Amino acid sequence: MKNIFRLLFISLLLFITNNVFAQENDAQPVVDETAVTEEVMAIAETADTEAVATEEYVEEDIHFGESIVKFLQRTGLSQLVDHWKAIIMLLVSFLLFYLAIVKGYEPLLLLPIAFGMLLTNLPGAEMYHSEYFAEGHVHWECFRNGAGLLDFLYLGVKLGIYPCLIFMGVGAMTDFGPLLANPKSLLLGAAAQLGIFVTYFCSIAMGFLPNEAASIAIIGGADGPTAIFLTSRLAPHLLGPIAVAAYSYMALVPVIQPPIMRLLTTKEERKIQMVQLRSVSKTEKIVFPVMVTVVVSLLLPDATPLIGCLMFGNLLRECGVTERLSKTVQNELMNITIIFLGTTVGATATADAFLNLKTLGILAVGIVAFGMGSAAGVLLAKLMNLFMKNKINPLIGSAGVSAVPMAARVSQTVGQEENPRNFLLMHAMGPNVAGVIGSAVAAGIMLSMMGS
Amino acid sequence: MTLAINWGNAVIIAVLGISVVFCILVLLIFVISMFGKIMAPKIKVEKKAPVAANVSTNEKAAPEFEDVHIAGIETAAIATAIHLYFNDVHDSESYVMTIKSTQRRYSPWNSKIYGLNNNLVRK
Repeated sequence: MKNIFRLLFISLLLFITNNVFAQENDAQPVVDETAVTEEVMAIAETADTEAVATEEYVEEDIHFGESIVKFLQRTGLSQLVDHWKAIIMLLVSFLLFYLAIVKGYEPLLLLPIAFGMLLTNLPGAEMYHSEYFAEGHVHWECFRNGAGLLDFLYLGVKLGIYPCLIFMGVGAMTDFGPLLANPKSLLLGAAAQLGIFVTYFCSIAMGFLPNEAASIAIIGGADGPTAIFLTSRLAPHLLGPIAVAAYSYMALVPVIQPPIMRLLTTKEERKIQMVQLRSVSKTEKIVFPVMVTVVVSLLLPDATPLIGCLMFGNLLRECGVTERLSKTVQNELMNITIIFLGTTVGATATADAFLNLKTLGILAVGIVAFGMGSAAGVLLAKLMNLFMKNKINPLIGSAGVSAVPMAARVSQTVGQEENPRNFLLMHAMGPNVAGVIGSAVAAGIMLSMMGS
Repeated sequence: MTLAINWGNAVIIAVLGISVVFCILVLLIFVISMFGKIMAPKIKVEKKAPVAANVSTNEKAAPEFEDVHIAGIETAAIATAIHLYFNDVHDSESYVMTIKSTQRRYSPWNSKIYGLNNNLVRK
């Protein structure tokens, strides 16, 4: 108790002295000598001694009560009252934390996204300003007036740097061997892109503009970096909801795909055992990335950033002489980029951008895109079985939506439910990596048709 | 403001888009297949030619080759063995012989007494 009284007494003393000094200051404004600049001092030395100070800095009076009120007004708590939408966004970010940490839904990306969302919706923090990137281009002049950390980091998304770096890492981690051994699996990867174009129709019907519809439709490609790359070019204001939808649905692939796969296939079809894949030479693996880059870039230059980076990463892996670079791209570079990308994409999910009917529409259409892509892959595999000598298991068709390697694992799991001796994983990896190429090509097409 | 939907444009974009995706990937299939034919590893062994009495010595038949690829089960076994070897999860042996020779002429291992059913003997 004694200590409490002592503290109260000291604070009261401070308050009184502060007020007394404040009154004295009112009477005699004090010249702050330290505020005189060096330039003025130099002039003062050479000039007449009487004309010393040319500018005087007068410090404003500080009142204890006013200071406290000002401080309280500047706290986020008081601003939360005016920004009730921010409270909802904070709750959404907490939900994403739960999904990432407890449920393990794509935690590597969902967690940074959730934290970016948390930072951007804390009132008064001023970490991210959407107006600096309004109307589809960067307002560089605003950066001179002061920008938040996330504003600077977001430049990597806006300029299309992060998705390409991630694609480089994906390429370095991907083995295209199963695709080279069975090139027909590229068809399944193409079929799965049907979901993108069907969803484009749905989005247009729901009233989205063509550029917005294209950005939403690319969710069907189940490829996060591609979705972010295209959206940042075509509809940057929808980046937050689209990224959240894309990564959430990618995490839900084991939930979304199996019912569709079972619905579209018979028991006998799911039991089909596929023939052993042929072995692939090292030369093939080295030539493949160079060849794909040349072919795709010549036909579709808009897809070059994504395809080029994907194949560059793969060449680093396969050539065998750049092991250090390959490891760096797979690990350090990839991880750093994921942190920056996730946080900044999450930061775009401000209350105004996220809490509207468009977001609900995106979430609804996104799941249609996923379902349609999976279904199209399975159906084309069934169609191919009508003409092929060596039957393919239709379950590998659903892996044509990218989501590497989750979609391939789902094919393996569903296949083994019917036939425990069936190993579809390597067969499904073919369409799976073909889906990555397919979605990058689809993004390139969208960009060439709608990009400025 | 309600925007009129231009369905014509939407159809063109969708049809053209999916067609271009298929065209590019089909082209890649051809190119990959072509490269595969040239560069695929060929593990071939010469077939033993059957002894033909009527074949003249001048007209030697070209040796027949058969493609030999390791079967999936064998690949799996090799992969498992390599995995176990590199991860050091195989059983470690102490390299100590635990079976020792014995000098006894009869032991429980070779005594027929232990292999017979002994009837109960009332004493």
